[in-house]
Amino acid sequence: MIFKIEDVTVYFPYDNIYPEQYEYMVELKRTLDAKGHCLLEMPTGTGKTIALLSLITSYRLSRPDSPIKLVYCTRTVHEMEKTLAELKVLHDYQVLHLGTQAKILAIGLSSRKNLCVNTKVLAAENRDSVDAACRKRTASWVRALSTEKPNIELCDYFENYEKAAENALLPPGVYTLEDLRAFGNNRGWCPYFLARHMVQFANVIVYSYQYLLDPKVAGIISKELQKESVVVFDEAHNIDNVCIEALSVSVRRVTLEGANRNLNKMKHEIDRFKATDAGRLRAEYNRLVEGLALRGDLSGGDQWLANPALPHDILKEAVPGNIRRAEHFVHVLRRLLQYLGVRLDTENVEKESPVSFVSSLNSQAGIEQKTLKFCYDRLQSLMLTLEITDTDEFLPIQTVCDFATLVGTYARGFSIIIEPYDERMPHIPDPILQLSCHDASLAIKPVFDRFQSVVITSGTLSPIDLYPRLLSFTPVVSRSFKMSMTRDCICPMVLTRGSDQLPVSTKFDMRSDPGVVRNYGKLLVEMVSIVPDGVVCFFVSYSYMDGIIATWNETGILKEIVQQKLVFIETQDVVETTLALDNYRRACDCGRGAVFFSVARGKVAEGIDFDRHYGRVVVMYGVPFQYTLSKILLARLEYLRDTFQIKEGDFLTFDALRQAAQCVGRVIRSKADYGMMIFADKRYSRHDKRSKLPGWILSHLRDAHLNLSTDMAIHNAREFLRKMAQPYDKTGTMGRKTLLTQEDLEKMAETGVQDMAY
Amino acid sequence: MAGEQVEKRGVKYKSSIKDPGTPGFLRINEVMLLFVPNDPKSDSKLKLQTKNIKSHKYTKEGSNKPPWLYLTTYQGRNHIIEFENYSDMHTCRDFVAALLKSDEEPKKAAVTTSTEQLSIKELELRFKLLKENSELQRLHKQFVESKVLTEDEFWATRKKLLGKDSIRKSKQQLGLKSMMVSGIKPSTDGRTNRVTFNLTPEIIFQIFAEKPAVRQAFINYVPSKMTEKDFWTKYFRAEYLYSTKNTAVAAAEAAEDEELAVFLKPDEILARETRQKIRRVDPTLDMEADEGDDYSHLMDHGIQRDGTMDVVEPQNDQFKRSLLQDLNRHAAVVLEGRSIDVDSEDTRIVAEALTRVKQVSKADGETTKDANQERLERMSRVAGMEDLQAPQNFPLAPLSIKDPRDYFESQQGNVVNVPRGAKGLKRNVHEAYGLLKDSIVEIRATGLSDPLIKPEVSFEVFSSLTRTISTAKNIIGKNPRESFLDRLPKSTKDEVLHHWTSIQELLRHFWSSYPITTPYLHTKVGKLKDAMSNTYSKLDAMKESVQSDLRHQISLLVRPMQQALDAAFQHYEADLQRRTAKSSDGERPNGYV
Repeated sequence: MIFKIEDVTVYFPYDNIYPEQYEYMVELKRTLDAKGHCLLEMPTGTGKTIALLSLITSYRLSRPDSPIKLVYCTRTVHEMEKTLAELKVLHDYQVLHLGTQAKILAIGLSSRKNLCVNTKVLAAENRDSVDAACRKRTASWVRALSTEKPNIELCDYFENYEKAAENALLPPGVYTLEDLRAFGNNRGWCPYFLARHMVQFANVIVYSYQYLLDPKVAGIISKELQKESVVVFDEAHNIDNVCIEALSVSVRRVTLEGANRNLNKMKHEIDRFKATDAGRLRAEYNRLVEGLALRGDLSGGDQWLANPALPHDILKEAVPGNIRRAEHFVHVLRRLLQYLGVRLDTENVEKESPVSFVSSLNSQAGIEQKTLKFCYDRLQSLMLTLEITDTDEFLPIQTVCDFATLVGTYARGFSIIIEPYDERMPHIPDPILQLSCHDASLAIKPVFDRFQSVVITSGTLSPIDLYPRLLSFTPVVSRSFKMSMTRDCICPMVLTRGSDQLPVSTKFDMRSDPGVVRNYGKLLVEMVSIVPDGVVCFFVSYSYMDGIIATWNETGILKEIVQQKLVFIETQDVVETTLALDNYRRACDCGRGAVFFSVARGKVAEGIDFDRHYGRVVVMYGVPFQYTLSKILLARLEYLRDTFQIKEGDFLTFDALRQAAQCVGRVIRSKADYGMMIFADKRYSRHDKRSKLPGWILSHLRDAHLNLSTDMAIHNAREFLRKMAQPYDKTGTMGRKTLLTQEDLEKMAETGVQDMAY
Repeated sequence: MAGEQVEKRGVKYKSSIKDPGTPGFLRINEVMLLFVPNDPKSDSKLKLQTKNIKSHKYTKEGSNKPPWLYLTTYQGRNHIIEFENYSDMHTCRDFVAALLKSDEEPKKAAVTTSTEQLSIKELELRFKLLKENSELQRLHKQFVESKVLTEDEFWATRKKLLGKDSIRKSKQQLGLKSMMVSGIKPSTDGRTNRVTFNLTPEIIFQIFAEKPAVRQAFINYVPSKMTEKDFWTKYFRAEYLYSTKNTAVAAAEAAEDEELAVFLKPDEILARETRQKIRRVDPTLDMEADEGDDYSHLMDHGIQRDGTMDVVEPQNDQFKRSLLQDLNRHAAVVLEGRSIDVDSEDTRIVAEALTRVKQVSKADGETTKDANQERLERMSRVAGMEDLQAPQNFPLAPLSIKDPRDYFESQQGNVVNVPRGAKGLKRNVHEAYGLLKDSIVEIRATGLSDPLIKPEVSFEVFSSLTRTISTAKNIIGKNPRESFLDRLPKSTKDEVLHHWTSIQELLRHFWSSYPITTPYLHTKVGKLKDAMSNTYSKLDAMKESVQSDLRHQISLLVRPMQQALDAAFQHYEADLQRRTAKSSDGERPNGYV
């Protein structure tokens, strides 16, 4: 359908539109007009992504003189694929109605591992070795050398791409990763470098958060994006965590050992160069004196990860004199490693601020703060000079240099925590020195400063006023949308008691109680026998899930479950989990039905949808609190209290409930969909916990469903499923329109009534 | 109608129209038409098997021709019989006509159903069906072998089973059981430490499917290196070591015994398969790709111990395998289903077949790009929002649900034997529609004169139901799961159920035989009646034999069966009376003997 929002003609690829989608677009347009940032919460299952994409692309079409670029950030690669698939539908529609002028270039961008088509490179085991294998074939010095020695193996795809030079362009269209690979294979061009190159021409770029938030990656990929870009963070409820993770780094014993080996190797290389090609080291020294940390124009193959510090915190001056010489720099690093090793040998947990850490480092190892700050740049320069291609081997020393650079750059918002072992496993010594960032606003600040509009959106952003404080920005629009329901297609329930009326909870003192474990099991046994297709269960942690499944197996509960549905489980092995998910979907598709066991805060809970028949009921076992004795968490809570006046308890509850809401929210995708959400813990019945759930769930949580036992929940579930199986009027009943047609919208525009849906 | 025959004196036999005819005596019965000339010397004696008669014609009353009956045989010869008067001729004609229909039709229409002409394939199918279905086999034994029903009659009601559909359907493979292989618990004798595992082919298949390494080991070791028994002993030894979770012991034993180590090591074939499969996974699920994109968690970057993720003890220990992995693997195998069609007891054949299947599917995965294409199509289809657009037509898979029409068609099978019914069925659609319309109009105009069910009858049904239910409740309480049948001793329960099915079978045949139109049906009904009264007395005997505390319940169970039988007997008697009455007053004394 085609309609107007004020002066913008919006092309929307479906015949109907939800009222909240329309509202969402209106707010979004105001943000774009104001060239400001916004915060929008809209329930899952209301087509956020497509509303967003169609408004922004239509906005671009309506302003041909100042075209904006859309930078769409997703949390995961599979969400990226989903977004691009939706964009494809939209693009086809726009081209159909507007012809070629609507054509855009949209690409997804990922790492070499996901884009490479060279089978020899792909044979490498993990991401880092793929990167290294690529560099071995594409680094400038390797290619230069190959003209002399023809037996050096290069990558044909990269060579072809380089040969095509400026002509290597992608024709307009929407390219998923698969499409990029197919295109690359056809033309014989390297899809990875082609995509990287096309970033500056593309109208829409879809990539992962860290390509914008993590300075290490953003420094290479995103530094050329123009200001006239709209940045969207989708599913952004965890954005604060991404921000602080981007600036955190830790050092373990293995890191130090590896770094020492790296230094030995570098020392060896330096000696070799001294003997054979001393001029090269001298040239590097001279360049550093002139203040150029890096050679200006690095060809694609030479680039490594960028500086871990944020761009505006990087000093643009010459590298300090004491580390300009390669061997001096190696000595400094040795002293640093030694000092870190000593600090790791602690018996107690130590917490320190970066300032005091740096000063004690200065007094005990004689390394100044400024030297620390240049560690990263100096290392990179040295590695290029030494022509090191197997970068995966050199990760430990890089980690140490990143740590040094960060600790030398930031004085506040960070703390250093040294733990001799993990709190929960005191019998396994595993000392770790962590530089942990507490301030989420640091990493996202450059993004807010640099781009004209930043849109932060998700299904669960409540309480919505917390996010501007956490990220310290001022949104021009901050709104939470309700969901207009055609029918009560979600059914949240709080289960507080088992069928024997004993309370259930994952509270620390109750979780291993056999009665609770049995009641949880019985709940699932009953559920799988009455719910068709897919059932999803979330547990509070891996260890808890492991334990409870083992107990269920011993007591025969698992056998009863298996009789009804197949069981698939998320494990810590990503490959296995992916296959389990794939099988789970197939089991639901073929009608066999299945149960998926997953973990809140896990990878599945973060990004996999259990919509339609893939999930008719979600059971959330327990409240997914963080491990509150964690030192890092305590430090972060302290920082939040001191800086933002956020109470510890409030933050913990907020965090746990947003995770729970996230888990159960995956069950619904559109209004035609339906699903139940069972919060199985007595603590959910308390008002202070429950009220932190997003409004669209709360509004369906009836008072009668706040304190249920298993048999009552089963009864409700039966009733709900029967009700949902009836045919219904999609357009809404009783004067409340939940599905708007083009005429409805035109009428609304005429009368000026915009909120007729509510 | 058995044994019926018609005899006429004073008829003339002519071999052609010109023939003046030989006077004589005519007798027609079921098998034979016999003409004996009055003059014993005459050579125009005729013996004609009725099954050879192809057709008959006759002269019409009122035409100036004498009452002649023309008979044409399959051999192409014509016989003319001249009667004294028309009524004699009609009697004979009717008889011949009836014979023709009852004898000829089955031969023409159902040539295939007669036993000797059955193809071997069909016989095999019947045999297979009997083998698969023990209840059917029991019925077959009871009725066919005791000659209550003929083979054809028995199968006629089960046309559907023999139909093409069933042949195709029977190929639908059985899935695997959901039970975990690790759930196999050994049995102990309680005195020694010896344990015994019972392995069925089903379990072995499942083990092979879930653990390719075990399968490969079996092919490699058995029987060249060890016996099958030793092999499985070792396997369960390894399983036991797993279950103890003592990795040190497992490692030590594996170091000593290289065959045992095979079971304890991580499955390499499985790992290879996994790598293959991950490439074909739906990109919207691919979390492995995610990991490849995550530079925030580059070695030791990001936050390690903030309590969001919990730590689990390292899993990569060589001799450790988690329950979770087993569960995932098991579910995947069950989902895949039984991929081979080998019904063999020989373990080795099964193992080899499985290996072959895996290799084929691997080759498929590498060569075809269809899967990839389909994956992408599916993704784009799912990308749309379902309720914002016109509904899509998804591909449907046919459900394998028992077709209710089976019941009606099974009735039709009987009708085939009854020519008149068959004719009726062939009535064209227009006619049928006209009839239906007429009756609707009639009902509209007059309304239903009688209530569908008489109030007295329904009242009786109600009250007896209530009585039965309430007494049952008194005895067994309110437990809905337990029915009275479960309380009976097993032999009695089986007997009751068997009687029930056999009564059903008999009644079905019995009622579908009415109205009796041919002597064939007549005999059938007679046989059925005998069998039924037999069963009836057996029921009585059973009632007597059970213990007194159960007797009341049994009699409650048996009563409906007996009532159904009683109704059948009543009908039989009434029908018989009507027939005899009809034949006694409707026919001439010399018509029937």
